[in-house]
Amino acid sequence: MTQNSAQPGSKPQPNRLSHNGLIDQSRSLNFTWNGTQYQGHPGDTLASALLANGQRFVARSFKYHRPRGIFSAGPEEPSALVQLRSGAAQEPNTRATVAELFDGLTATSQNHRGSLEGDILALNDWLAPFLSAGFYYKTFMWPAAFWEKVYEPFIRASAGLGKLSMQADPDIYDHGYLHCDLLVIGAGPAGLIAALEAGRAGARVILADEDFRPGGRLNAETHAIDDAPGHAWATRAIAELASLDNVRLMTRTTVYGAFDHGVYGALERCTDHLPTSGGKPRQVLWRLYTKRALLCAGATERSIAFANNDRPGIMLAGAVRTYANRYGVTPGTRVAVLTNNDDGWRTAQDLQSAGVTVTALIDTRSGVSPPKNADRIETGCAVANTRGRRGLGQISLTNGAVIDADCLAVAGGWSPNVHLSSHQRGRPTWRDDIAAFVPGSELPQGMSVAGAANGTPTLAAAMAEAQTTTRALLQDLGHSATGADLPRASDEPASISAFWHVKAKGRAWVDLQNDVTAKDIYQSQKEAFRSVELLKRYTTLGMATDQGKTANVLGLAILAEAAGQTIPETGTTIFRPPYTPVPIGALAGRARGKDFRPYRLTPSHKWAEENGATFVETGPWMRAQWFARPGETGWRDSVDREVRMTRNSVGICDVTTLGKIDIQGRDAAEFLNHVYANGFAKLPVGKVRYGIMLREDGICYDDGTTARLSETHFVMTTTTVNAVAVFRNLEFARQCLWPDLDVHLISTTDGWAQYAVAGPNARALLSKVVDDLDLSNEAFPFMACTECTVFGGTPARLFRISFSGELAYEIAVPTRFGDSMIRALMEVGKEFDVTPYGTEALGVMRIEKGHFAGNELTGQTTAAMLGLGGMVSKKKDSIGLPLSQRSEMIRDDDLRLVGFHPVDKGIDLNAGAHFLTKGDPEDMAHDQGWMTSVAWSPELGHSIGLGFLKNGQNRMGETLRAFDPVRGKDTAVTVVSPHHIDPEGARQRG
Amino acid sequence: MAEIKLTAAPVLGTNLSIGTNTIQERDDLALVSIATPLDQDQDSQADLARALSAGWGLDLPAPTRASSAGDAHAIQTTADQMLLIFPHEGPDGNAVVQSKLDGAGYTTEQTDVWLVLEIAGPETLAALERLCPMDLRGVPDGTATRTVMEHMGALVLRHSAERFWLLTASSSAGSFLHAVEQSYRNVT
Repeated sequence: MTQNSAQPGSKPQPNRLSHNGLIDQSRSLNFTWNGTQYQGHPGDTLASALLANGQRFVARSFKYHRPRGIFSAGPEEPSALVQLRSGAAQEPNTRATVAELFDGLTATSQNHRGSLEGDILALNDWLAPFLSAGFYYKTFMWPAAFWEKVYEPFIRASAGLGKLSMQADPDIYDHGYLHCDLLVIGAGPAGLIAALEAGRAGARVILADEDFRPGGRLNAETHAIDDAPGHAWATRAIAELASLDNVRLMTRTTVYGAFDHGVYGALERCTDHLPTSGGKPRQVLWRLYTKRALLCAGATERSIAFANNDRPGIMLAGAVRTYANRYGVTPGTRVAVLTNNDDGWRTAQDLQSAGVTVTALIDTRSGVSPPKNADRIETGCAVANTRGRRGLGQISLTNGAVIDADCLAVAGGWSPNVHLSSHQRGRPTWRDDIAAFVPGSELPQGMSVAGAANGTPTLAAAMAEAQTTTRALLQDLGHSATGADLPRASDEPASISAFWHVKAKGRAWVDLQNDVTAKDIYQSQKEAFRSVELLKRYTTLGMATDQGKTANVLGLAILAEAAGQTIPETGTTIFRPPYTPVPIGALAGRARGKDFRPYRLTPSHKWAEENGATFVETGPWMRAQWFARPGETGWRDSVDREVRMTRNSVGICDVTTLGKIDIQGRDAAEFLNHVYANGFAKLPVGKVRYGIMLREDGICYDDGTTARLSETHFVMTTTTVNAVAVFRNLEFARQCLWPDLDVHLISTTDGWAQYAVAGPNARALLSKVVDDLDLSNEAFPFMACTECTVFGGTPARLFRISFSGELAYEIAVPTRFGDSMIRALMEVGKEFDVTPYGTEALGVMRIEKGHFAGNELTGQTTAAMLGLGGMVSKKKDSIGLPLSQRSEMIRDDDLRLVGFHPVDKGIDLNAGAHFLTKGDPEDMAHDQGWMTSVAWSPELGHSIGLGFLKNGQNRMGETLRAFDPVRGKDTAVTVVSPHHIDPEGARQRG
Repeated sequence: MAEIKLTAAPVLGTNLSIGTNTIQERDDLALVSIATPLDQDQDSQADLARALSAGWGLDLPAPTRASSAGDAHAIQTTADQMLLIFPHEGPDGNAVVQSKLDGAGYTTEQTDVWLVLEIAGPETLAALERLCPMDLRGVPDGTATRTVMEHMGALVLRHSAERFWLLTASSSAGSFLHAVEQSYRNVT
């Protein structure tokens, strides 16, 4: 091995090899690790740079706080989880093996108290006999009083690895949508061949790869393609793909989930490799709509279980090759190799070629003849144990030999990355010849698999399979392949003889991320947690950020061995998205803070802001709740004033938010007659009628008015919150129930700015607004409507309807005039001391008047309960009529909407209180109903309420308890008419 | 008191440039929905076709495709209804259409229901990829489709790869514009 010569001003990197690998050693990047500055090069990951600088010990394990190193060179990393960046941008639990190095990167280790080297929680390792699988369930049973006060805080403090910054994420994230004919997942040799085939054929292709350098194992191995290094061929392939307009090449992009109907989720890391995101999205969560998908996700190497196989310096053999060949780094200076397959031999070969001392090549198979690429060759034996305090120093073999090694490369065989192929519950199938699971027959819709992911691990075979599969897909899609030849490549030796576990004294680690040992798996089996799903929950095998990518198959094999059954009989756990972790920020995308959801504003919004409005969310709408005036000390002052001024003179309320549906057609009247419970067939032109709508089950779900503008033209008004539901129901009725009726619907909610003008001076005010229209009671009586003009020619609609109980109108103008209209109304209203009023005053006045609203429409409310049973016409068919007449729905002694006054007028009522007859016990068996709405009535000078009371219509004057255990109140109330004011309706008809 | 006249305001009055891209509110258009009467004698469709042709030079639109003539467009929005968009100022677009249809369809004024944003520029498709679930790259010019963007209903009309109209509810126009603007900013 030759160390690289340091550049001027740079520190030597002791484990950097002289050959460049695929990094740019002509440039250096500074980074800090636990406060110490080091250097790496463009093309490095944090892991390769740490190894180059001799940093083997980089983490503490989850449970026992054992020293851990870098185990892999890719997304499967279970051990080297670190914190990147600092301050608000700090991100815990990041895999060092996929963190691209940039100048100025700050990284720290995690999960230790004190320094990494001096972690006091390493004590846990000494307590290991007490902390085996399931110890939580056994240990924290008693005393029960300790559960919340002692155990939970303790467990919570110990749980987790890294630390959150507890500050808002300073970066932004985005979502996006892409479409393609063929999605190729993975840009290794198989994926590149597939993308080239499809791209040249003219198909729309997305090629996604999680790495920042596409090429997959071609970048990590010394394979030749067309007599050139494999990575050089990959570079040429990428250049060709980049030149094709129909191919979208997405690097740093992980396809993390296969969802229904060919939809895939992908996470693109846009700026994680840069010092700052520069105000652009750090990551984009893509939804990929595909006609076909080809999974070329390769394979993940797995370990072998033997005692103390977790020390820093013990790594996967393929990862050791990656560091040597791609990054120009050797993970050790005296490397031993343990393998159960031919593939492991290449590690010794590549290291020796790079000048690294290989102290031993140990093959668990007997009768094989590995090439002589190591100081000693051992066959038919394995590693029994290891030594070394903070990193590997020695290994001892099952044949008793002891060998010096500061790195042990373990080749336990490759597991195809079947994950995405199983995201819709398809079960992978076991293949004995490669000792691995491969995708089963039930793949997600439109998905095919090729290459190592399909159990075709060797180079030439993988490329050939990718070509054949892609050509079949292209034919399906109606494209013709160009028929280009495959590049020349050969198949490397790949024979394997399954070998999982060296049974010897000492803890043999299966899942490095969760500190699960072979003994834990035996214990789970012994304690009857034998199903693989139970094993996972009991031992935590395969949980957390790596989801057992390097551990699962090994764990299953040991479970199978313990249970005396085969691996396919043991089965696998269910694979679920995401394949690798997806940050919550990326899932949220832009939906943060005020951008969490859209807002709907009325055209008077700006004017309302200028006039002291406080707004309330009603669905997505922002409505003025009240308008504060100088000197008012709280909302009640404003609301009481608005009610008084309206009832004394005139008030104006923006009711634009009410749903408006334009209904036209020869049969529109008949249609309305079917959708409203009350009659509409004979509504005259120029009139408005109040109506209630029932669900099919007879429950009342909405009310409103509908105006008839011509024989064939109606305008329906719905409540604000039910506008969409009503429209949807009308469409259903129109299209599915009565398709033979000539009826057409369109929403006009946003097209009109509509204002309620209410109070004894409403007519006087409007007479200054509308052009040439006789507003007298005779000419324009209660429930009249007309199209008209206002302020000298602006088109408008005028309805004489009232929610407040006052003489009232609603006047609508096209939205573009809405702002101008409210300003004009207020201007001409000055002489009447007009007031704007908000939803609170609206609520007070409707409670005073006894109108029901959302509080009363609970989804269990019948028309009879509202006192409107008589409105449900039995003379015609309407939606909900048959079921509304069930005996329990119309019984006379059921709940009825009535009013309530406190006996002591100084006491405020509360909604939610339940009514009890005096002397009855306070339980649900004696419940008489509940208070739905309350308000302080400026008109009456005390609190009033509406509520449902059993047999309420026959209990006027009765005194009841309004019992409210939540607030600790028990108030005597008198039952009154729900119409607290003007029960005869003289005002609104005046 | 001086005589009061109401003044019309655009929904947002947007006229933005982001790099070499532009976002502009088109408030010089009228939008009117036309519903075809449920046919008893098969004549109403033909009457409507004649009126569209005579009035605006438009054919009846096919599903997902706008029928266009200059800045006038007809877009099929439901099985029985289309949206007619044509250059016109003033709140009387519905009356104009009614006069030309002469009873061949039921019309409803829709101008103030919608915000029409014209977006244009080289990053337009990239911006729309961050916003719109529909495939807008792989479709021909003249494609018109209903969709949802950032939870808001919308109608998209592709004039070219670099020029689109986005129609959305006027009440949530501010939120919609923010979404469009942010999309451009994220890709430029």
